[in-house]
Amino acid sequence: MGRSVAIMGTGQTQHGKRFDVSYPELVKEAVQRALADAGLSPEDIDGVVAGTMPSMMEGVALNHLYLADAMQVVGKPLLKTETCGSTGMSVAHTAFYWVASGMADVVLAVGYEKMYEGDSQATMTTVADPWIQRSFVAGAPGIFAMQSNMWIDRYHIPEDRLREAAAVISQRNHDDAFDNPFAHIKVRVSLDEIMNARIITYPIRRWDVCPNSDGACAVIFMSESRAQQMGRPAAWIKGVGYRGDESYLGDSDKVRWNTAIDAAKEVYQQAGIINPRRELDVAEVYNPFTFMEMLLYECFGFCDFGEAYDLVLQGTFSRGGDLPCDPSGGVLCTNPIGATGLIRVAEAAMQVTGKAGTHQIDGARLALAHAMGGVSQFNGLMILGSDR
Amino acid sequence: MAKEYRTLHTTVDLPYELAFGATLTRFFDGLSEEKILGTRCPKCGRVLVPARSFCPRCFIDLDQWVEVGQMGTVETWSLVSYRYFGMAKTPPYITALIRLDGADVSLTHLVGGIDLSSLEMVRTHLSIGTRVKAVWAKEKPGSIFDIEYFVPVEADSH
Amino acid sequence: MGDRVGIVAVAESTPAIAKENLMDAVYWVTKELLDKVGVEREEVGTIVTAASDVFHSGISCANSYYWEASGGFLKNASRQDADSLFAFLYACMRILSGHFETAMVVALTKGSENPENDTVTSLYADPFYHRPLGINETTAAALQMRQYMEHYGISLEQCAMVTVKNLGNALYNPYAHVRKRVTVDEVLRSQPIADPLTAMQCAPKSDGVVAVLLAREDKAKKLTDNPVWFRGYSSAMDTSTLGDRDLLNGMLSQVARRAYAMAGIVDPSTEVDVAEISEPYAFQELLWCEQLGLCPEGGGGRLLDSGITGLHGRLPVNPSGGVLATNAYVARGLYRIAEAYWQLTKRAGEHQVDKTVHTALAHSTHGFAGQSHTVVILGD
Repeated sequence: MGRSVAIMGTGQTQHGKRFDVSYPELVKEAVQRALADAGLSPEDIDGVVAGTMPSMMEGVALNHLYLADAMQVVGKPLLKTETCGSTGMSVAHTAFYWVASGMADVVLAVGYEKMYEGDSQATMTTVADPWIQRSFVAGAPGIFAMQSNMWIDRYHIPEDRLREAAAVISQRNHDDAFDNPFAHIKVRVSLDEIMNARIITYPIRRWDVCPNSDGACAVIFMSESRAQQMGRPAAWIKGVGYRGDESYLGDSDKVRWNTAIDAAKEVYQQAGIINPRRELDVAEVYNPFTFMEMLLYECFGFCDFGEAYDLVLQGTFSRGGDLPCDPSGGVLCTNPIGATGLIRVAEAAMQVTGKAGTHQIDGARLALAHAMGGVSQFNGLMILGSDR
Repeated sequence: MAKEYRTLHTTVDLPYELAFGATLTRFFDGLSEEKILGTRCPKCGRVLVPARSFCPRCFIDLDQWVEVGQMGTVETWSLVSYRYFGMAKTPPYITALIRLDGADVSLTHLVGGIDLSSLEMVRTHLSIGTRVKAVWAKEKPGSIFDIEYFVPVEADSH
Repeated sequence: MGDRVGIVAVAESTPAIAKENLMDAVYWVTKELLDKVGVEREEVGTIVTAASDVFHSGISCANSYYWEASGGFLKNASRQDADSLFAFLYACMRILSGHFETAMVVALTKGSENPENDTVTSLYADPFYHRPLGINETTAAALQMRQYMEHYGISLEQCAMVTVKNLGNALYNPYAHVRKRVTVDEVLRSQPIADPLTAMQCAPKSDGVVAVLLAREDKAKKLTDNPVWFRGYSSAMDTSTLGDRDLLNGMLSQVARRAYAMAGIVDPSTEVDVAEISEPYAFQELLWCEQLGLCPEGGGGRLLDSGITGLHGRLPVNPSGGVLATNAYVARGLYRIAEAYWQLTKRAGEHQVDKTVHTALAHSTHGFAGQSHTVVILGD
């Protein structure tokens, strides 16, 4: 199906509170690093895909206009892909389809956000329709808390063990972030501190939640023929899947969550994956909340429904376990939303090309990257491999 | 009579705090000191105003600072007379592109200090090619309005 | 690019949607499109929509709201911001990648629910420099217009005549928003906006939903007897700082050259049969015609005077009435595709041009003084 496509370079900014740079300068930092990583100059790029969260996040509308120079898209075609929280993944998908179509050979994908400049929770509240849901959904935590509680109830998950499993996930991500030079939040927290932290929206506590970050990510997609001329390690795209459901939260089952289940089926089928926990070497799951991470393991078939908390406690998804998840420290430690999904793709590409440095999973050859968005609506995935 | 359906009147009003970054901070610091600063690209040689941290064309970092002239030439202009919600300036006002002496790009700013009551009056002072000069505001907190506007310099034209 | 992509069907809303809920309006047009072809939603391979949160009735992440209305339930779908020709191109890419046989493109803006266009376009500007100065699409266009008139000797009357022509064409287009016979004098005497622009030289704020069904060549031929083919495209962005740009020599000339080369067009002034050109400001139709190579540089005024670009001229431009008649901001690129499709399939009704149409051009633009330009070439 179509032409093979490879990722040949990635670039991330130092994520965090970046009042040292303006928005264009932040974006430029990621673009320069991706070009350097791939050994390319701006002239080598055929087209650019950009994406971000809603304009109100930073108060600049249609911000590709403002950021055109920073993305080096002057004189070139641009696509602007936006799908809320899954934007970064959808940007990667756009770059993939663009190259796979034969309409370009080298496409630069850029995701960015400068969340310290606006009020992200207030912005995200406006994602919900103004008539019905907006008054009730208390930003993202409110929605994900509702979803988590449904899941806990459905599978009779024991509260104390789940709280412990969530703490393990939180501590693991925070510890892993120390091995990721780009990560934003770098703090050591004890299991005890995490488990007894203040409640934000039950069952979500202080350390179960992702931060707001300033950051950008750039990834270079290349056609098979061009990639092979480069003589560098390539991350080949083995599967691309995406699904969405209704804007009204109550319309679909968000526990046996079809957009996550079906999008995963789509990528596994393309990549020929039958047993994801055994076949995948590493997964970058979009985990803005610890509980959602476990729910997603189950939807992605890493384990059965209601089983994730137990496996987490056994270390199945930690480094050294069956399927290490989010060795980058994940969304829990770095979350410039428009870039976040693309960072998952970049991290997966770094893993299968052996470029992940101190958070490298030894011998990783097959990786999953994921992002979600909307009013708990969208799930997008990508499978990357060392072999074409 | 047809049923009238309801509509919802709503505005979205959100607070922001935006980072200038080092380069624009220095540019606006310059305005506070009544200096208009640009940066020169060592590759294409252009002097860019306002100062940039990187050349949009050559895509290299810029750190060669240049003070450009406070006089320039009007490249085009418009007398703005309409109003809309959330408008930054109260009309009437004149928006113009001004090529400052020593710069290779044009600065967007206002032309003022002339009678704006009619287009005819404006035209007696202003056309493409008119020489203008920066008029500094009394208060200079480091914003684009540290330059209040540019005023036509009748005697010194060309 | 091995396969070809064909347009199978098109559906458009009428101004009557102003009183309807945005989600309903999207659903009705999407449903009408599928019904026209007799295709069930389940059979559609993928969907790419176009909408921008700032033009989306105060609802952020536009497509999470209308996802199901555009047929997206459990689909692999996506969205383009800003310009619906981006969505058209992305849908073509998804088909040409070999992953999907069919793709639906849905574009929408419900202008009647939004703030004024320039309240929004002023937010395109960087917050430190251009925005406090009151720069928006209209003031930027005024700066461009003054240079254009002065440099090439284009008259105010020639600019106003674009409005007269396009609103006149819209009289015959039931999908158009502003449909009326006006005179040059009325246009020039309308409310001063940003000199030299007057109100009637600026596009209105319109409601619109457009849906287009695309299919891979073999599938397109099964679904319709007269598909319209995607033959070429190009697109480019200009630099963001207004003062860094040459407002009279932006990106459109090179965009046009690349699109023509891809479509095998050597002389656009004779080979393009009809052109739908986004002209949010009247003079821009003249300037864009020049840069699209439909007339010599500086010849936009004379091209219009000659009547060639009229509804029954040799090279009709904006037979739909253009953006001056209907400005559903993000949807306007797909409006151009829709009109090109009607003309190529001889279904334009009262505004069908007086000639055989084999090749049509669709153009869209957004940003200050044409910072982004996209051209698509379609053929029968």
